[in-house]
Amino acid sequence: MDSLIAELTLLRKRVATWILLGFWLVLTILFAYVLPYYAYKGDIRFRERGGAALLAIMLPHNLVASLLSGFPFFGGTIILILGVLTMGSEYTWGTLTSAFTQRASRLKVFFSKMLALAIAIVPFVLLVFLLGFIASLLIALAENQPIDLPSAWQVLQALAIAWFIMAVWGSFGVLIAVLSRGTSLAIGLGLIYGLVLEGIISAFTNEITLLDYMSKAFLRTNGYSLVASLATTVTGGGGGPGGLQSSQIVSGTQAVLVLALEIVVFIIVAAALVRRRDVAGSS
Amino acid sequence: MANGNDIVIETRALTKRYRAGILAVDGLSMNVKRGEVYGFVGPNGAGKTTTLRMLLGLVHPTSGQCRVLGEKPGTPEALGRIGTIVETPAFYPYLSGRDNLKVLARLASTPYSRIDAALDEVDLLGRAGDKFKSYSLGMKQRLGMAAALLKDPDLLILDEPTNGLDPAGMAEMRGLIRELGRGERTVFLSSHLMGELEQICDRIGVIKNGRIIAEGPLEELRHGSRLKVRAAPLERARELLDEMEVVGKIEQDTDTLLVEADPASTAAINRKLVEAGVEVSELFVAKLSLENVFLSLTEEDEPRG
Repeated sequence: MDSLIAELTLLRKRVATWILLGFWLVLTILFAYVLPYYAYKGDIRFRERGGAALLAIMLPHNLVASLLSGFPFFGGTIILILGVLTMGSEYTWGTLTSAFTQRASRLKVFFSKMLALAIAIVPFVLLVFLLGFIASLLIALAENQPIDLPSAWQVLQALAIAWFIMAVWGSFGVLIAVLSRGTSLAIGLGLIYGLVLEGIISAFTNEITLLDYMSKAFLRTNGYSLVASLATTVTGGGGGPGGLQSSQIVSGTQAVLVLALEIVVFIIVAAALVRRRDVAGSS
Repeated sequence: MANGNDIVIETRALTKRYRAGILAVDGLSMNVKRGEVYGFVGPNGAGKTTTLRMLLGLVHPTSGQCRVLGEKPGTPEALGRIGTIVETPAFYPYLSGRDNLKVLARLASTPYSRIDAALDEVDLLGRAGDKFKSYSLGMKQRLGMAAALLKDPDLLILDEPTNGLDPAGMAEMRGLIRELGRGERTVFLSSHLMGELEQICDRIGVIKNGRIIAEGPLEELRHGSRLKVRAAPLERARELLDEMEVVGKIEQDTDTLLVEADPASTAAINRKLVEAGVEVSELFVAKLSLENVFLSLTEEDEPRG
């Protein structure tokens, strides 16, 4: 418990944690509500052509679909950075030496970090749903639309899925930080993977079967598939507004299994490296 | 390995070869006894920090054995009784000095009540609320010492603890280490500063190329006292001394000669020089400094001991 409190203190007192949280909240609300609503209100031709569908997606009953689709991409990337900072900074500052020469064992320190990261993800999930709910409520009131809320079960499922997707990305960040023993390279590699590599490989899946198989192991592919499986049951159609589109490549069950396997592998490999490797000075 | 209560650090043929093939520590064997201040000295790259890291479980030995406080290095049982500074003290830059110690106290399962006492001991209480990144090198070093004292440890492993301190700070730190080394507590001190070690340590171990080449109490290491001779003309004095059987190696240092000889032969040497018309202005027994010992040991090609 002492180690966990120490790690939570490190995350709580770090400005970067709050910047990432703020950035994530602003981005999500901007793309899920502000920009679509601006488009809906600002362009009369657009409103006449498909405006009703766009407005429907911004209303409270579509809260789950609207917000969840931001997690596999924006949310994942942001938590990847938090995961990298959680572990990678210890190498950069040389504080791993300080942490490993107290009383707690290496594995205890590592798993305390992982647990602290898992707890730190909770406000990223809860706050975005809270702000999303407020935004959708304001839009419904402004447009004289009915305020129908998703069921508590649907919201709970959405919160769990959102946390799970972020946890997978966070542990991926921790793993690449451990592999590269620092932050800079790890963030660079993580962003290249998240923003570029998955997209490029996915573009060739129709032509090359091997890449098609590969893409089914991707974090984004499985994250979107998981989100889409829930969004389908909630709304009858996948996807959120604006830039937050999701599509189902694999089944929801397969996505859960693949992501669960990946999070286990990420954590075990990182833990084994932390336990076994020599700790040299700061990099 | 022996596991007597009086031996706090014991290594046997401890070896570390890094993956690049570099042999950092080569069959190092040493004992550090309870309650002593042990100085660990060697040139850069001799293997001091790697040895320290192995004692703390940060680096895994390639072969050999090592026990610290009767435990395997790096275990919670051992670490809970060790306070340490390894190289430059590393802390979280965005936290204050006090918050850094709180984090370490949590990891060490040590009560917060010790934090202010430790800060006070290193004279950092007044700046404890400032962020670590605003600290000078000397303040960082003192915070490192405060962190090392948090657990009220049985063993202190300190790597260059006076790095970055001004002369007054160095003197304070020396006094503190001497104070801490009193009684049952053991201090294992690695330093380049011979004067520092000379003033503090009970025993010295000299490491070169990953091996201990000399070890013992300071007096024992510098047993080979020499005679210092200031005379004119110096060259004539040297010729005369060369002829004497009681005289060993002679080194010339600008206007004096350092002569390896039994101090009992001082009078005979003086007589010989004066009778030959050489003016002797100084002739006395000069104790070797630790620096002399260190240089003579580490400059030799072949390790000994």
